[in-house]
Parts: sequence; structure tokens; C-alpha cells
Amino acid sequence: MEPLNLAVIVKLEPDFSEGNVSYKPDGTLNRNETKSTLGPHSGIAAKAAFYAKVKYGAKISVCSMGPPWADIALQQAQQTCDADVLHLYSDRIFAGADTLATAETLKTGIEKMQGKMDIVFSGHRASDGETGQTGPQTAWKLGFTFIGNVISYDVNLEKRTVVAKCLLTLNGVPNVIEEIEAPLPVFLTIDPSYKSNFTTVSQRIAFEKYQKEAYERARNFKQSLKVFNIDELGVDKTLVGLAGSPTIVYQVERIPKGKATRQAEVFDGSNSEHIRKVVAKMREALSAMVIK
Amino acid sequence: MEKYDVAIIGGGSAGLAALKQLSTLGKQAVLLEAGKKVGVKNISGGILYSKKPNKGRVYNVEDIYGQNFVNEAPLQRKITKYLLHATSKDKVFSMDLTAAHEYQSNFGYSVLMNDLNAWFAQSADESAQKCGGGIVPGVHVNNISWDDEKERTIIQTDELDEFQVKAVIAADGVNSEVAQITRARPKFSAVQLYQGVKAIVKLPEDIINETFAIGADDGEAHLFAGDITLNHLGGGFLYTNRDTLSVGAVYHFDSLLDSPIEPNTLLDALLKNPMITELIKDEVPVRGKIDKTLEKEKQMQIRFAVTKLIKTWYEIRDVYLSSSRRKELIKTGKFNSEDEIKSKLSETREKMSSQYGIQFKTDYVEDEYGAKLIPDGKRCRMKKPYHKNVLFVGDAAGRGVFVGPRIEGLNVGIDDGVRAANAIARALEKNNFSQGYLGEYYTKSIEESPYTKDMKEIDKEYLKIFIDATKDVPKDILSAKHSLVLKLMSSGAIRSMAAKFVNVLGYERLLPVIESEESYVKVPTELAERSGKTISSSYTPSIPLLADRIAKLNYNDDKVSHIKVLNPNNDFMKKLVMLCPTKCYSEENGQVTIQHEGCIECGTCSEQTDWKHPRGEKGINYRYG
Repeated sequence: MEPLNLAVIVKLEPDFSEGNVSYKPDGTLNRNETKSTLGPHSGIAAKAAFYAKVKYGAKISVCSMGPPWADIALQQAQQTCDADVLHLYSDRIFAGADTLATAETLKTGIEKMQGKMDIVFSGHRASDGETGQTGPQTAWKLGFTFIGNVISYDVNLEKRTVVAKCLLTLNGVPNVIEEIEAPLPVFLTIDPSYKSNFTTVSQRIAFEKYQKEAYERARNFKQSLKVFNIDELGVDKTLVGLAGSPTIVYQVERIPKGKATRQAEVFDGSNSEHIRKVVAKMREALSAMVIK
Repeated sequence: MEKYDVAIIGGGSAGLAALKQLSTLGKQAVLLEAGKKVGVKNISGGILYSKKPNKGRVYNVEDIYGQNFVNEAPLQRKITKYLLHATSKDKVFSMDLTAAHEYQSNFGYSVLMNDLNAWFAQSADESAQKCGGGIVPGVHVNNISWDDEKERTIIQTDELDEFQVKAVIAADGVNSEVAQITRARPKFSAVQLYQGVKAIVKLPEDIINETFAIGADDGEAHLFAGDITLNHLGGGFLYTNRDTLSVGAVYHFDSLLDSPIEPNTLLDALLKNPMITELIKDEVPVRGKIDKTLEKEKQMQIRFAVTKLIKTWYEIRDVYLSSSRRKELIKTGKFNSEDEIKSKLSETREKMSSQYGIQFKTDYVEDEYGAKLIPDGKRCRMKKPYHKNVLFVGDAAGRGVFVGPRIEGLNVGIDDGVRAANAIARALEKNNFSQGYLGEYYTKSIEESPYTKDMKEIDKEYLKIFIDATKDVPKDILSAKHSLVLKLMSSGAIRSMAAKFVNVLGYERLLPVIESEESYVKVPTELAERSGKTISSSYTPSIPLLADRIAKLNYNDDKVSHIKVLNPNNDFMKKLVMLCPTKCYSEENGQVTIQHEGCIECGTCSEQTDWKHPRGEKGINYRYG
């Protein structure tokens, strides 16, 4: 049986945690002062790939399109999924790409990876832009079966199929979990509620072993990293970057604030007089709820 | 069903020593740890000793983890000075007990369990994987069952499929669930236990060296008795770590039950003592008030910026005030020179005060609050530490040495772990796991341990050292009875005879005399009042409220409570309202109820509740331990 060959596409995003994020006076994000990190949804995709590493001993490649310093996103992803190979597609020509042009770059990169690809993973969306369609578009370009909103999956190595559970959220209808079986190769986008489930001692021991290996590899991540410029990648210049983007963001407007309809009173938690007032209000509200 | 040779339940220092030893002997073992990572549930005082007993042998850390242990392991500081202080208000009388600390000892290092156990785990796991085993964290064992017909022992957990083993080592601590599952021993009672609470105080390395006037690798241990006990039986301690201090209070649990007091109040009493206040003092930034009339968004921006600046300031300062880290970062090219770090630090500081109105004041910084029950080996060690093919080690077997100022637990558990591993390796070779071949052999090995002897008998040599250390104590402070005993004991021949007599009579009968209000409270208080030096404090420490201490802790909440109250209206439960270190209990209309969310799993309430460890990965995650 051939070992599974996997790829994960990831994105470098601003770190929105307190103490790391910085804003301009007009309230917009100051990208120069804000640290960057692996996008949280990309992290979940890497976690999902790691499941196959632990369970099936899969080979994992992680790739990203971004500036040279996006290698830290790859490093973080490697620490999550114990990736064997890291690809960074970095060239000035790639700048200004919309999701379709990004998909073209990623597709070309994935096709350049060694061996026949079985599963490609991506996150559900990004935290700094509505670019959730990059995954599906890459799948379409690769010609892989696409399965979205995956919350868990397993691979049947003999049949060479994947069985995935997907979360369907429909307006006004209770959530539905759909189970889909599809022949490899497939492209999975991973739902934020994804959870890896290891149920035996041997799987858990393998999990710990690969996790340790991942930590070591991530420490020396440059050894597994390969950076491609446009020529090395060999992609059509008209299909990538600004030139290959049919859509352009030409203006960003702030969402106007809605008019508040409720009457809010502000209480200071450190003022005991205020606390007393809140308790009295709560008591009033609670006693009104008692059915007499 | 998967099969393994040995299951070790609990990844504390005893369980890890067992894993390391079994793997060194080429045996397959899996260690199951409930915490998300090994070490996050562990807390100790703590000092780790390596001992060299006059008679018999013990298994020390360096015997298991290699002779280079001291250089490789994340130890804090080598304790080179050990002092006992008697306190009364602002007066302190100090006695040097370094000779007692060095008694039959290779070394004693201050340690923080989270880091140290992680290091033990890495070493043990590497060896275990070579034998087809390993460490599995995040798994809570809920049952062990025996299928005698098929000669198999089945381990059941909350998280994994059940699996089969040949033998088990129970290293699940003082509140051992395995002991309850197997009914190998009853739960420990108050008289057999101590309750300890501890605060980790942050203090840069160089400031510690300066305050205590010690070298970069040296450390000190300070014990306290007297009025800081608030009339309870026990005392306080302060150990120097590399860039933190461990400050804690340890009390006989039965004494706390007799007159309930909040454990954090006992800790606060210690922190308010002027001697300790001076030892923990540091410079602390205080946030300026944010103008509430500003736009919400602007306020948030300022708050974020202040957080970022304070974080940066601490980062640079921790480097600047630590000679080893300073050198390391210059070597790795992060900084060019010490001057560069210094100027960066003052630059940040300047920005803090000029741009954001951050001020600096003398105070102290507490980083972590924790608590633990400690078994007193004199009173609760298991006489037969096994059940079928399950061997009990360390705290789970009720084994710890408490003799006056001599407090040892980690090294005892490690010694037990190795003995259990050796017994099981022998049983695996003969494929004989009967009580006679395995359990009795292990019991015999434990009985031969010098630690067991220390739990059973008074050691006249140690007694002499202790008596010598107290030679400056005016004898008229003591009661007539104590004074006479001390006088007699000063003579070698009588001491020898008396020790023999006591050991024949039964050591435990003497304990109420030794561990009395007189020795913990009255004598030290009077001693300090009469002969103590006056120490004045240069500031009033802002001691955090319990709620703030709990808010700083890191929990992985479980919706389901791991503790169930059995008798909501009994006396013990009512006392827990006071005695639970994180105030999980409250009383309303005579009924005690629990809110488990703040539980730090010390087990103070375990005697009279249905007490289990939380499910895998849930509950408290200590950063220091």
C-alpha cells in the first residue's frame, strides 16, 4: 500500500491577540506594527492533516503564497502537523493577487510537489479578509473532488477513498451532519469545529512521537523549506498576481454604526456603590420574573 | 484489545521514575497522565534531594537519569543555606539548620515541578519508546478490572479504548483514585495530612542574588514558625528559585479542621511578615487611569498599547537582570552589548511614563497560587503498598518524610518508583504477577528503604544536629517538661538510650508532644519577642485578593464537576467553606454546595466527598507547580 501524500495550504495573517495587535489613529489595522502569525483556520487545517500522519503515517507538504517573512506561518504549521516539506511561493509579481490568482499559484505549487497528491487541506476562511474561496478554487483548478465544512474524516487505504463528515448549517433548519465518501484525490476545507479523535493507546503514542518530531523539525524549519520565485515555480505570469486577478478591492468602507435603540447605563465594577445599584436592579428584574 | 506489559498511572516524579527504570531494564510500559502535558498538575514546595544514607541504599535522581543530571535538568538553585526563623510581629530570631539540611545528603536543589517533570518525561519517554511504550497525556483512568480466567488486567479510561496489561503502578498522588478502585487503602484522614498553599513570586535573577547576597547558582531555604501561624500547627517556607521565589504555608490538616481558617489568610500572614516583605520586594509598573470620556475605540487602543509596553518592559528587564540570559542573547546576536539592553530598557521605561502615565512603585509580583495535600509518612504510609498486581508509589502510598524541619517527598517517590519498576521487571521475567511473587517482594524492598526507616524511627544522629542548632535558644522559654527533655537529650549517651526507648515504645506516640502548639507557635513567638532582631518593612505589599489569584490561574473548564458532595449538611463540609484554598464551597440554608470551576484539585475535600480527578486535559494547568 502506498503511503498517503498530503498537502496543506496556509496563510500568514495578523496576530489579533492583545499585546500584539496595533491600530492606526483612524482605527484601521497598522500592519507594519502588528505581528504576523499563522492564520487560525490554517492552523486547524494543519491539525487535520496531522491526524492522517498519526493514523496512517502520511507524508505532509505545507505551502503558502506570501512575502519572504511568511516562512514563519510555514514554521508554525510544521510544528502543528510535522510537515516533511515546506513550500513558499514568494515573488513581487504574486502581489495584489485575488483568490483566483492565488489559487493558480497554489495549484501550480501542489502539482510540482513530489508524488501523486491524495488529499489537500485548507482552512475554512481567513481572519483578515473574506478569502474563504481560495480553497474551493484551488480544488477546481486541480480537478479534485471538493468537500467543505469537514469536521472529521477517515481514509480507507485499501479502497483509496476518504469518508468525511461535514457540518451543514442552514438557516432555520437544525444543523445536519452529512457523511460523504469520495475516491482520492480530494480537497478538504476544514470546519473550525474540527476535532481529531485518537482512541487507542498506540495512536496516542504515535501522536506524541510525531508531535515531538514536529517540534524538532520546526526548530530547524529552514532545512525543510524551499522558496520559489515565479521562474522557479514556472507559472504563467498572466494568471497570477495583479495581472491574473479579475477582482480588485478598490475601496474599503467602515461599516456605519447602527443606531442604539436600547438604553444602556454604564457601571464601574470597582465602585461598590455601583455594584449595589446593579444588584438592586437584578433583584428587581428577577422578582418580576417570578410567576405569582 | 491492545496489549501492553505495564501501565503506570500518573506522571509525577514517582511515576516517571518508574517508567524510566522499566525502560532502562528493557521493559515495555505506558504511562497515563490526566493533565494535558506531564507536569501541569504537579506542585511541590519544593526541594529535590539526593541522599546518601549511612546504612542501606536509595535510588537517587542521578542514578536513574544519569550522573550528568545536575547539569542537564532544569533545576533552580542549589540550596546552600537552610534557616529556621521564629517570628513575632516585626521581630525575627534565626537559627541555622544548614547542617540538618546537609545531613546524609549529596545535594538539595530548589525545583519547580512543571519544568522538572517535563524534563523527566522527555528522558523517560525517549527510553520508553524504544521498548514499544511511551507517555500518553490527557487520559484519566476510571477503572481497573481483572479477568482472572484469562489472566488479564484491563485498564479503562474516559478517553481511550480499554486495553490490557500485566501489571500496574499506581502513581496517582495523594488523592489516589486507584487506591479507591482497588480498595487497597482507605482515604487518608485529616490527622495523616498536611495542607500546603504556595505562591510563586516573580523576582529577577540578579535581584535575588543581591537581596539574599548569594552567588548566581546558590540558593537559600527559609522556614518560619511563630506568630505567622496565627495559632495553627504548621509553618511557612520561602525557597529561592532562579528568577522566582516559592513562598508557602504548610499546616497539619487536623489543626485547620479544629479551628478553620482560610488557607490564603495563612499565606498572607507570611507575606506580611516584614522579613519576607523585604525579601520579595521589587519594582512594579502601575497602569495610569484611562480617560473614560474618550471614544471606546480609543480607550481600547490605549489599553492594548499599555499591555504591549509593559510586556516588552518585563521581557527586556528579565534579560537585563539575568547574567546568563544576558550573555546568551548577546551571543546569539539578538543584542550587541549589555549597554544596548540597558538603553533599550530605559527607553521603554521612558515611553511608559511619558506617553501613558505608567508609574513605578515598590511592591511584589505574584505569578501563581497553588495548593496541595501532603501525606505524612509517619502516620499514613501503606504497610502493604500493593493490591493484586498493582503497586503503589510515592504520595499514592502515603510516603513522605516529615521530621521536624526535614521535609522530603520527591526523592522518596522516586526511590519507590524504581523499587516498583524493579519488582515488576523481575515478575515479567518469570511471568508471575501473584501477590506472593510481586507484591510481597515489592513490600520487602520498600521496607528495606532507608526512607521507610526514617518514617518509622527517630534518628539519633539527626536529633543531635537539630539539638545543636537550637543551642542559642534560652532554655527557660520552654515548658519544664520540654526543657528537661532537651537537657537530657544534650548528652550523647542519654540521647541514644532515649531514641532507642522511643523507637521501642512507638515513634508515633511521641508525635503529639513534638508537633504541638508549644513547638509551632508559643516557643517561637516568645523566642522572637525576647531575642529576635527587629526588621522594619519599607513598604506595604499589595497582596492580591483570592479572586485575583484564581483569575490568574489557567484552567481548562469541564462542564461536569469531578467532585460530588455526599453530605451537604455535615460538619466537615461546613468547614470546607473556609478550608478550600479556592473557595469552591458555599453554604446556604445549612446546605453546602460546590462550584467546581475554580478547583485546583488539591483534594482538601476528598475525605468526605465523591472525589475524582477531572477528565483528561481538564482542570488546572499550573505554569510553575
